[in-house]
Amino acid sequence: MSNTMLKAAAGFILLALLLAIPKQVESPYALHMMILLFLSISMGQSWNILGGFAGQYSVGHAAYFGVGAYATMMLMQARQVPPWIGAWAGMVLVVAVALAIGSICFRLRGPYFVLASIAVAEILRLSAINLTALTNGAEGILVTELPAFKLSERVLTDFSTKVPFYYIGLSLALLTIGVTYGVQHSKLGYFFQAIREDQDAAHSLGISISLYKNIALVISAVLTSLAGAYYGIYVGFVDPPTVLGLDLSVQIMLICIIGGMGTLWGPVLGALVLVPMSEALRSNLVTDLLVKVGLVNADSKVGVFLKENLAHAHVLLYGILVVLVILFMPDGLMGFVKKLARPRKQEVA
Amino acid sequence: MAVFMQSLLSGILIGGVYALIGIGLTLIFGVMRVINFAHGDILMVGMYLTYIAFTWLGIDPFVSVLVTFPLMFLFGGFLQKVFINRVLKAVSQNQILLTIGLGLIMSNTVMLIFTSDYKLISTSYSSSTLKVGGGVSLSTPLLVSFLITATITAALYWFLLKTDTGQAIRATAQDREAATLMGINVKRMSIIAFGLGSALAGTAGALIAPTYYIFPQVGSVFTLKAFVITVLGGMGSVVGAMLGGILIGVTESLSAVYISSGWKDVVVFVLFLLVLLFKPSGLMGKSRT
Repeated sequence: MSNTMLKAAAGFILLALLLAIPKQVESPYALHMMILLFLSISMGQSWNILGGFAGQYSVGHAAYFGVGAYATMMLMQARQVPPWIGAWAGMVLVVAVALAIGSICFRLRGPYFVLASIAVAEILRLSAINLTALTNGAEGILVTELPAFKLSERVLTDFSTKVPFYYIGLSLALLTIGVTYGVQHSKLGYFFQAIREDQDAAHSLGISISLYKNIALVISAVLTSLAGAYYGIYVGFVDPPTVLGLDLSVQIMLICIIGGMGTLWGPVLGALVLVPMSEALRSNLVTDLLVKVGLVNADSKVGVFLKENLAHAHVLLYGILVVLVILFMPDGLMGFVKKLARPRKQEVA
Repeated sequence: MAVFMQSLLSGILIGGVYALIGIGLTLIFGVMRVINFAHGDILMVGMYLTYIAFTWLGIDPFVSVLVTFPLMFLFGGFLQKVFINRVLKAVSQNQILLTIGLGLIMSNTVMLIFTSDYKLISTSYSSSTLKVGGGVSLSTPLLVSFLITATITAALYWFLLKTDTGQAIRATAQDREAATLMGINVKRMSIIAFGLGSALAGTAGALIAPTYYIFPQVGSVFTLKAFVITVLGGMGSVVGAMLGGILIGVTESLSAVYISSGWKDVVVFVLFLLVLLFKPSGLMGKSRT
């Protein structure tokens, strides 16, 4: 009992801290990092519902991310529809896309589903490149100015700083965590997990496989499309390789897998590990550190090489992490942490 | 008519190389039941080996196959021994993730070494053509690579059918446990199969190097193509992969001419989804429940 109260108290303090950060921290870079973190949590958590709980490994989640991002951006550019309305259009569109994909791909199992999910995302990416009249093709869509967000004529924000994006991101991350919690603690979650563990057994118990797989997909796709819309308005630019590419699909999946699939906090942990690590590599922090410590001479060949190339290496790190996680901690970091925590708990008891 | 014949024939020629990629993937799947998502990246490594051999040592890309094939065999064997063998009993999704991770490591390591600039191998024959008659002409490098592909495929077929090792590999593919009981070292067969699959992918990389851009991310295109080819032909079927390769080559070539080059890959993927939906066992695959 006290344990849950402790958890609730810790949660409230954390939330208060997160809400207060933009008031105290002015560095745009720090806010940018937090925004990336929220975005990663949302993406990983959305994938978690379909991949982690229902056990359907989609390697084509960029499809939903991209449709959400494109719908919002296209409506904003062509029809001046504000993003908070455009995102709804994106969600409706994504539900249609998800149901179409689900009705095709869920007739397939395991590796065949993986392949089909990739194929669908690739078809969407290639279509976005080729339908130049609609999507502006490979050039992408650039929206530099967002309309001010008004509530009965009172301007709440005009999106001139990163602060509003911070709060949108925080709400989105909390929403995905909340939805996952809801799924995990409802009948729905048990059905999903039954399908994941043994599809045939679940079927013989009277669980409609295709219905629940499609429900998992739609929830996951809608949340992913919101993350896509959020990405679109934050960055202000979308193009086919960045929001519909295979790389993005893999990245979405990795956040969850590295953190721990089918757990509430796995994707959060995954994002907490991946975002700072790839940012540190991208902004050359690691090279600077190596130089400062004296391991590497900044002017030597190695130093120059690291400075020029390590920035591009964050994906290499993803690769190494995945291999390590699959070989040594198949339950992700979350499983690893739990394993570490278990013997200690026994000592206390 | 000349345009049709022209694109049909070039489709068949490029399809030969696709077949080689597909056979490699199908061999690996047949023996290990692992879908190798790093297949295109292995091909990319083969391309860079060819590039190194050409620019540093001046070895002709087609001759370099003699070096690329054994090197890529060793590389594949290493991957199998160190990584894939550990996850053979894991769920298929984890195997897929492991190969995705290995692919990311390969493409990004190559990017660190060679940067992501596009490289080109320009030989004296890169853009030369051979007139066949009736207004149809064929690209010489494609023709040569097709002949090499045919030779390798025939040799592989003979190896699988006639040699003891080949029969042991086929036995492992048919039934791993039964093969073990018959005294076949299935782990060794897996290493050989992955080595062969990688060697075939690497060779395909060497063969297309003179006619294709070389860059670290080139692999993902070919990984996807390899899936389409093998699923079309039937997972695990070598003859199916050959047919699938040529079929995809022809489909691409014809739809580039008659629809548009931008949409040709969409046509291929739609075809892929249709096969997955209506005949997931593929053209030559045995239907399994």
